[in-house]
Amino acid sequence: MIKSIVKKRIKRIKSSYIVNSTFTYLGILIISFIFLFPVLWLVLASFSKSGSIYSFNGFFPSKYSLNSFKTLFTDTNMYNYPKWFLNTLFIAVVSSLLGTFLVILTAYTMSRFRFPSRKKLVKATLVLGMFPSFMSMIAVYLLMTQFDLIDKPIGLALIYSAGAPMGYLTQKGFFDTISGSIEDAARIDGATNFMVFIKIVLPMSKPIIVYTLLTQFAWPWSDFILPKLLLKDKDLYTVAVGLMTLGDDEFARFAAGSVFIAVPIIILYFSLAKFIIKGIASGAVKE
Amino acid sequence: MSLKLHKLKDFFKNANGRVACSGLFMGLGQLMYKQIAKGIVYIIFQIAAILFFVFFGAKGIAGFITLGTVKGNAWYNIKGDNSVIMLLRGLLSLIVLIFYFIIYIANLKDVYKTQTRVAEGKAPISFLQEIKNLFDKNFYRTALFLPVVGVCVINILPIMFMILIAFTNYGGNIIPPELVDWVGLASFKKLVTLKQFAPTFFKILLWNMIWAIVSTALNYFGGLGIALLYNKKCVKGKAFWRVFPILAYAVPGFITLLAFKFMFGYGGPINQLITGAGGKAIGFLDLDAKWIARGLGFGVNAWLCIPTSMLLATGILGNMNEDLYEAAKIDGAGPFRQFVSLTLPFVLFATMPVLITQFIGNFNNFGIFYFLRDGLTIDGYFLASDTDLLINWLYNLSINNNFYSIGAAISIVIFLITSVLSLIVYTLSPSYKQEDAFK
Repeated sequence: MIKSIVKKRIKRIKSSYIVNSTFTYLGILIISFIFLFPVLWLVLASFSKSGSIYSFNGFFPSKYSLNSFKTLFTDTNMYNYPKWFLNTLFIAVVSSLLGTFLVILTAYTMSRFRFPSRKKLVKATLVLGMFPSFMSMIAVYLLMTQFDLIDKPIGLALIYSAGAPMGYLTQKGFFDTISGSIEDAARIDGATNFMVFIKIVLPMSKPIIVYTLLTQFAWPWSDFILPKLLLKDKDLYTVAVGLMTLGDDEFARFAAGSVFIAVPIIILYFSLAKFIIKGIASGAVKE
Repeated sequence: MSLKLHKLKDFFKNANGRVACSGLFMGLGQLMYKQIAKGIVYIIFQIAAILFFVFFGAKGIAGFITLGTVKGNAWYNIKGDNSVIMLLRGLLSLIVLIFYFIIYIANLKDVYKTQTRVAEGKAPISFLQEIKNLFDKNFYRTALFLPVVGVCVINILPIMFMILIAFTNYGGNIIPPELVDWVGLASFKKLVTLKQFAPTFFKILLWNMIWAIVSTALNYFGGLGIALLYNKKCVKGKAFWRVFPILAYAVPGFITLLAFKFMFGYGGPINQLITGAGGKAIGFLDLDAKWIARGLGFGVNAWLCIPTSMLLATGILGNMNEDLYEAAKIDGAGPFRQFVSLTLPFVLFATMPVLITQFIGNFNNFGIFYFLRDGLTIDGYFLASDTDLLINWLYNLSINNNFYSIGAAISIVIFLITSVLSLIVYTLSPSYKQEDAFK
């Protein structure tokens, strides 16, 4: 009697468990599909034989080939993709190195030092961050004409890196959570603050440095407003601006160009995923 | 404050002639105390400042006030004033002036300190020691110097410039070589009263608020929901399933946006499927597609932003105390009750600052409708469409159509709305009050 009741109970728990996990997996499958599908569609489109989106059979090309990738790099009269790629790479590398240096320096200082004007600086950066980001575009443009930096990729790289310290809060969040006791010990041993920063803090903050390098590096690949304004010469475009000029009938070329830059970025993100998750979480406060 | 005043009084009462010399010409007092190297550094600064203001700064500041007096005329070969450049140079000079004052005051403080030290019978601090301090006690000054200068030139100067532009009549027909003038609040008045701007402004403002609130909530709870789903005990291979949202996170935004535009366009695959099944093509992003286009915007934005909030929520949930759930279960709380009373408060507390950032990001989300409905203008809207946010309108007005002062006025309105909202939330949030709590 008792045995059968227990058996029934176990059965009920088991079946509810099965129902529960079935629905869970169904949900997960749907979500995964939603996130995967557009990306998959783009990848397949880049291998389409005819370039135009109108010759597709529903979502997918009717014939596949490597044509689009070939024209992307050989047919450079109208759309000089290799040039765009190198420009963006240059801007991304410079702004990622310089910007990361400035951000880490700012974040560490704001996290560790208590100096007279500190609170004022914190408030000022908060207020400045509230201004719509490209409200100042026109002024930046005029400023760049004054410094003779229009149509020069280095100007763009300088803007990206000089503006980077404004976003120091994430990095500060990271430094706030690592304990300062090792640094204090080093200071007692006579190390200067500069030495502490170089010898102790920098090696300890690898995750946040990698995160910053990556986000700074990825940004020029997707920004389009600033380069559109500052780079007038078609050969000096960044990839984002260049790809935007492609129309419906060049859809396969657009897809190929996108896949070609997205794949390296995706690989970078995946191989550094644990740093990214740490970085994103640094923006929030932990208990 | 009174302490500062007291110190200032002391300074004026006690400062000796050498301090006064430094007040007249930076570095002289230091030289008199035989601090040669430091004196020379200050003197170089002083001379550079004088040269700057004689050849550039004075003219710059004058131009800042007048905004130009001579109108250019190619016919008579008169090279006129360019008001906008004058405004910019004036601002640049003002910033240099502020830096000069900071150095000037540092110079006075320095020589006064030396005076007190000498009076107390101590030796003045040597130049070498001073340099050493910059890498130790005053390391924050060395560290912040470059970032502050960069932010001043790239962020603060342009923002000041645009704030000032809102109070001029720059734009429309009045662009160089025409002379620009200060007009006070006229642009703001135009924005809320003029038939041309006012209806569009209020319509867009309302939609902008709806957009920001709904999309922030959608992305936040969407991300939290997915994180909770993936965190369930019955899910095997969590790392594998997380690959898909991270994939979406890693693809540069403009690519996905353009891809979605192609996907929902007239010749796009979705309409091909509809026509293939015998239906009529739907203009998802057409002129009259008001709410369809808006809904599509919410969806696309969710696709782009949910991965970030999911990763964030996953990180936070990992820090949660499991025992609380066990206790709740024993007390008989169901899954829903556990979510409302345990998970949500914890996650909300931890992500408050991020939530504000996301709200502002959505309020000023330029990309979505710029790509989905590029350049569309609709009847009843002045140079905008019914999906455009203030930021898109600002772009159309100022970058594409020269309405600079009106555009600047709109940006100030955007700034006021977002900053007031977030300052309130931020100062109320526990993470601000307890900044030093976990040191």
